[in-house]
Amino acid sequence: MTELQAGEGAQAVGIARPRARPRRNRDVLIALIAFIVLAALPMIFSSKLLLDFVIRCAAYGLFATSLNLLVGYTGLISFGHGMFFGLGAYGFGLMMQKTGVPVPVAFVATLAITFVVAAVIGAICVRLKEIYFAFVTLAFQMLIHSTILSWVSLTGGDQGLRGGIPRPPFLGIDLSNHHHLYIAACALLVLGLLLMRQIAQSPFGYTLRMIRDNATRASFVGIDVWRAKLTIFVLAALFASTGGIIMALFVSGAYPEFAYWTISGEGIFINMLGGVTTFLGPMVGTVLLLILNDTVTRLTEYHGIVLGIVILFFAIGLRKGLMDFVVEWAAQRRGKAEERAP
Amino acid sequence: MKRTRTTGVSRRSTLALMGAGAATIAMPWVARAQAKTIKIGMPTILSGRVAQLGTSSRNAVMLEVEKVNAAGGLAGRQIEMVIRDSKGQPQEAARISRELVNTDGCELLIDAEASSGAFAVHEVARDLGVFCIHTNSETSSLTADPKQHIPNAFRTARQGVHDSIVGGSYAAGIAKAKGLKKWATCSPDYAYGRDTTGEFTLYLKRFAPDVEIISDSWPKLFQPDYTEVVTKILQAKPQALYSCLWGGDLTSYIDQANIYALFTQMEVFAVNMADYTALTVVKNLPKGIHSGNRYIKTYPGTPENAAWGDAYKAKYNEYPTNWSWENATAIMLIAEASKKANSADGKKIAEVLRGLTIKCPFGADGTVTMRGEDQTLIGYAIGWGTTIPQEPYVPEVKAGDWKTILELEAEWKKSKGYT
Amino acid sequence: MDLDALAGCLASPACLVTQTTSGLIIGMLLFLVAVGLTLIFGVLKVVNFSHGAFYMFGAYFAMTAYQFTGSFALAMLCGAAGTAILGLIFERVFMSRVYGADVLMQLLVCYAFVLIFDDVVRMIWGPEFKSMGMPSAFQVPPLFIVGGVVPPYYLLLIGVALAAAVVLGLGLARSRIGKVIRAAAHNPGMVSALGINTGLIYGGVFALGGMLAGLAGALAAPVRSLTPGMGFSVLIESFIVTVIGGMGSILGALIGALLIGLIRSFGSLGFPLFTEGLMYLFMVIVLVSRPTGLFGKEVA
Repeated sequence: MTELQAGEGAQAVGIARPRARPRRNRDVLIALIAFIVLAALPMIFSSKLLLDFVIRCAAYGLFATSLNLLVGYTGLISFGHGMFFGLGAYGFGLMMQKTGVPVPVAFVATLAITFVVAAVIGAICVRLKEIYFAFVTLAFQMLIHSTILSWVSLTGGDQGLRGGIPRPPFLGIDLSNHHHLYIAACALLVLGLLLMRQIAQSPFGYTLRMIRDNATRASFVGIDVWRAKLTIFVLAALFASTGGIIMALFVSGAYPEFAYWTISGEGIFINMLGGVTTFLGPMVGTVLLLILNDTVTRLTEYHGIVLGIVILFFAIGLRKGLMDFVVEWAAQRRGKAEERAP
Repeated sequence: MKRTRTTGVSRRSTLALMGAGAATIAMPWVARAQAKTIKIGMPTILSGRVAQLGTSSRNAVMLEVEKVNAAGGLAGRQIEMVIRDSKGQPQEAARISRELVNTDGCELLIDAEASSGAFAVHEVARDLGVFCIHTNSETSSLTADPKQHIPNAFRTARQGVHDSIVGGSYAAGIAKAKGLKKWATCSPDYAYGRDTTGEFTLYLKRFAPDVEIISDSWPKLFQPDYTEVVTKILQAKPQALYSCLWGGDLTSYIDQANIYALFTQMEVFAVNMADYTALTVVKNLPKGIHSGNRYIKTYPGTPENAAWGDAYKAKYNEYPTNWSWENATAIMLIAEASKKANSADGKKIAEVLRGLTIKCPFGADGTVTMRGEDQTLIGYAIGWGTTIPQEPYVPEVKAGDWKTILELEAEWKKSKGYT
Repeated sequence: MDLDALAGCLASPACLVTQTTSGLIIGMLLFLVAVGLTLIFGVLKVVNFSHGAFYMFGAYFAMTAYQFTGSFALAMLCGAAGTAILGLIFERVFMSRVYGADVLMQLLVCYAFVLIFDDVVRMIWGPEFKSMGMPSAFQVPPLFIVGGVVPPYYLLLIGVALAAAVVLGLGLARSRIGKVIRAAAHNPGMVSALGINTGLIYGGVFALGGMLAGLAGALAAPVRSLTPGMGFSVLIESFIVTVIGGMGSILGALIGALLIGLIRSFGSLGFPLFTEGLMYLFMVIVLVSRPTGLFGKEVA
């Protein structure tokens, strides 16, 4: 069990930390452009499918990228990250159904609940190392899933939150309008990615990489490893929860499947597909998986076989995620070009 | 040289990939082109442990659609079914339903999802206003709860509370005759299991007031092993046992209870036993299990029903399931309503459908009715009998009385605060 | 919660015997699956996520063999041998390619095969659930031991599983092959330097693990319904068992399996609606207090 860290992360560590400010400005600029492009999409294509697709990408993308903060950046392989996805969906849905508070209040309150739950669970989990961390997070996930199933009076048990999630308009935004929901999901996605990017590039982000590469060394340097791990665990949970909220808005409900371990498994799968060494790898993985899922289930009911073969191609053929492959390939090319240069 | 070529290939393949992606997204206009056919979308479960739900629903639907198409289709438009697998995940059910309507151009939906998937599709129907018939969810609240009600959604599945009323009164009769006072229950731990069991005991006690429930067990859905549940029931020594386990769970349970000789020690009431899926699979079916009818071709004992069962068997080389008749009925109702409305438009079909009575092989009196007030099916064949291990499996079925069912259902709705 | 029922049972010897044997039955089948998992992990350092599929194939092979031959013994043999071959092929052709890779890549290969195997079963045997049926030799009334009920078939099942546990335990500890396997688990480089074919050992261990899961599936086939995806819940439970017992420890798998069996059998009396939750709770408690499991050694 020595090779437990996700990806070697050679690139990320190898590059010396550049001047932070221009980089941040560049990130903000890219985020702005991305948002404008996404927001303009519905004007060019009138397809509702496209909007649905992007909303789902936002939900899964935030979830998967936040998981990568744990897996790729900190070396914490969580098999239970999906519990926060479910928690977000249920927290938000219940808040809207039972209390009727405005959407932003419910949003913030859901994040606050996630914060508390993640802090408690994280405090217990991050003490454990490697595969045991994976198992204990999985166990917590299943515990939460069982609780959702058993606590019928609150959660509706296996039938989930029924009757739709009410969403009164606020500040001129009406989330029951498909277009408004789309814009909101895009905004959350871009903002979430931007924030996570800042976390990853911050000194704290480099502390995490150090912990991943050698926790003992990190603690010698005076880093409180437990606290750093807990912090990123909670932060990642908040973004996963946001993904869950978007999903709850999309399906207008919350279902126990959202808190099942398969969601965590899908998150890991997305990360592997896209690659864990680049920041946008999980996002690429999300788009890939969703396209794959949507097209394959259309074509055959034996989608398991098709999906399985695609996975094998990545795992045995490429042996790495798509973005990892691309980055390595580009680096190799650059290397060769430099060699050839006189 | 070499380098350039590799780049070119790679770029081209990337473009091809993007193109493929764009094509899947850009398809809507192709589909939107006003066709003469009418597309009916059907999200269902075709993989995983309950794949049989989807396959037997699909079989029945295709059987009926062929007939409708041969007779000229819906108001002159041929039906084209678009059937997709949700893998039993509610978020996939919701996505697929939206895609079927928004992209594939389906004008009607048949929601053959179970449990939470049905509620997810219901929300899509609410959002998009598309005509939708729920065919497999038996959860009473889906149509009984006015909060769930939307004008464009109907249900042709049987309803849990109907089963419980008939089962309760039938079981109470036996309980009185045989002096069965101590009862145990064993049902899957999810909404259907809990609600149906609760309602069954409610009506059992109502018709036979001195009955007492001395033990209850709640195995998980799809639990592989029931040993601890079987022994728990044996410990309690009840005189009778009620269970609403179904499908593979029920057959596992019977196999495991059999080697403990449970069936010789108590009367067993298993509402979901009398379905071919369970009857034909269990190798050592104990004699004399009381069961509600799910689908059997001998009840109702009409030539129409027998012919339908045989036609299905001839086409698919297996017997129909409970899900089969529920889905077939949906197509029959749509076809009849469309004929009456002389239109294939969802809104017009919905209008005619409310309160519509049609001739149907699965009707208790040869007809079934889509009740107007809550848009759910009534008048279907419902009854209880005891099983034997070979055909016809349930030789005598005691029919439930729809007058009593409707009275008690109304009372139940009131007690739940639904009316 | 129904603590009175639990207390009542603990006070009655008949109930104690019945529930304890019921816990044993659940536990021993679970042990057969879990021990393969733990063995593969101990030697190959692979978390075999596709282990449930071997259990599933074992059951389907046994059912098919039983249908054709009518012999129970042959059915068991087919279930075990078939999955052993499958395990060997799976390891040599696919798993052996990802030993050097990341743990997550190995998981991914297993996950791919969970999907593929489930669909393959659906293609061959159909989506509907099946039942093998109890051989007539075991269609006899249950035995009564101190007032507790025990079916003879389950005695056989417990016996087979116990025998497997003893053979495995002794074999690994005493025999030459056992020593080589343990050495390979400890230091594969050294073992292969000594001229021993580690690939063969790895393949053999995988085949052995697959065979045990297949045997469990075959033994379960007469009493559990067969469906594509049936391995899944068994996989999750045997994961819990191995984690509680300690990954890599055979004794741990045995104790863990029995504990889970007992939690189920007595938990269903006291907490009928939260039996599943009890297992996860127990797993959390064990992991938090002893991260490597009850019998696990600290992994380097």
